[in-house]
Amino acid sequence: MEEVPVIKTESLSKRYGVLFWKKKNLSLDQLSITVPRGAVFGFLGPNGAGKTTTIKLLMDLIHPTSGSAEVLGKPVWDPSVRRRIGFLPDAPAFNGLMTASEFLNVCAKLLKMSKAERKKRVPEVLETVRMTASADDKLGGFSRGMLQRIGVAQAILNKPDLLILDEPLLGLDPYGRQELKRIIREQNKLGTTVFFSSHILADVQEICDHAAILNRGRLLCSGKLGDLLGSQGISVRLTDGDDLVRDLLPEAKECQKKGPHEWELTFEKTPDSEKRLQELKEKHAGKVEVVEQWESLEDFFFEKIEQDNGGEAGKEAKE
Amino acid sequence: MKEVWTIAENACKNILKLKVVYFLVACVLILVGSMYRYNEISLNRHRELLLDMSLLLNQVAAILSVLSLTFDIPRELREGIAATFLTKSLGRMKYLWGKVLGIYAVACVVCTLIAIGSYIIYASCFPEPIFLIYVKIQLLIILSAIPMTSICTFCAVSFPEMAAPIIALMAVWFSSLTHRLKIPVLNGGILPDLDLFNMKEHVIYQVDLPWSYILGTALYGVAFAVFVMMLSGIIFRLRDIK
Repeated sequence: MEEVPVIKTESLSKRYGVLFWKKKNLSLDQLSITVPRGAVFGFLGPNGAGKTTTIKLLMDLIHPTSGSAEVLGKPVWDPSVRRRIGFLPDAPAFNGLMTASEFLNVCAKLLKMSKAERKKRVPEVLETVRMTASADDKLGGFSRGMLQRIGVAQAILNKPDLLILDEPLLGLDPYGRQELKRIIREQNKLGTTVFFSSHILADVQEICDHAAILNRGRLLCSGKLGDLLGSQGISVRLTDGDDLVRDLLPEAKECQKKGPHEWELTFEKTPDSEKRLQELKEKHAGKVEVVEQWESLEDFFFEKIEQDNGGEAGKEAKE
Repeated sequence: MKEVWTIAENACKNILKLKVVYFLVACVLILVGSMYRYNEISLNRHRELLLDMSLLLNQVAAILSVLSLTFDIPRELREGIAATFLTKSLGRMKYLWGKVLGIYAVACVVCTLIAIGSYIIYASCFPEPIFLIYVKIQLLIILSAIPMTSICTFCAVSFPEMAAPIIALMAVWFSSLTHRLKIPVLNGGILPDLDLFNMKEHVIYQVDLPWSYILGTALYGVAFAVFVMMLSGIIFRLRDIK
């Protein structure tokens, strides 16, 4: 039986503009994407590309002009499906008079969690986002980063099957970003599919295995990151491998000494080299690390946007 | 249903946490109590004046309490607070009902505090017992908040944030005056007839009011509110939440 995708949209379009005499603005144009189960899916695009619109459509906060969207095999308007989704909006706002734990308790009640579950889960998620110390502080006094953490806490409260995050890394300091990436990885390991939009391409490349690029409401490309980005070779890191270097050096494109007895060699990706290096890795387990090197997502992103904008705009943005 | 109670509890708690609510209740009670001093200026009608003032201010408190809906819902929608709740397993209609029940509970608490305070002031100033009829009339004031809440909800989901409170206030004002304005289409039609809930003269002149009247008026208020809430629900369901 074919596995049901976690998110599936078909020709999803959205036009904004409430007044009939005003020209309606096309925010999303015939978007068709599929997010497989277990993926960490990066949803990329410049400002105004339609990322937040798509996420709002998936969360049934706005209604599509045409097309359809399904989440976890059910139509987005079905409220029962939202019990299995965690959502973090782009600028999380909460009632400033509530304390962090009060707010999370309200969210837990809305997710129909029992009192015993709430008592266990609320401190647990506060711990996950490192906010236990501020549990009884009012949300009104929290910084943007702290609010973002509380936003993440409420999103993972129900141990969701799907986590939808709208610009989760925005406004976070490097520590906060590191923490959030850790949480995303942890959630993914627990079996949660993560779908998130971001502008920080290096982070997306670091944690995502799938990505889609959107520009002016249109999908430019979508798929596995490995299929989208061109391979730039295979990198082999050798620890305590002075003798191995001598054998490998003639075929290597590049060779760098990284430390005493530590080397990094780069090879061109061919079926032969892949097979040989894999055998080498198995033979010298612990000494040899083989990593495929990809084209940078940033270069790929600008190339795609540039192509779509007809050359100049993407170039300017990159500059 | 649990989700509705959660939203209601949250809405109610958030307003009742505000110290300004209790400050205003205290101001109202001071104003009611000061009416006792108006014996000379009112030619010894200060008893009537005190009762009238207590009932009038309680009515105003009920209006202001329910009017907070027209600020609260648009603010939560604008700031994204509502979006966080609505993306849990909560239907939009449940969110609205939760808000309405929560704010109605606030109106009940505020009106009850004012009613109890006013009655204590009255009982310490005048010997005439009016307890039962006073309770009935205050109950009508609390019941009048039911149709008013639904009007405010309708305005909150149908009109822009700036216009909603003004339109809601005008609607409540017209609803209280429909009897006197004699506009047939408005009188108990599009707008509820809030005059039915205004029986102040009964307590002032100590004329009993049958429980059947209160029950009938309550049913009228609930029926009107349910109809308007359904309409508000449809509008809210069709709305995009930015």
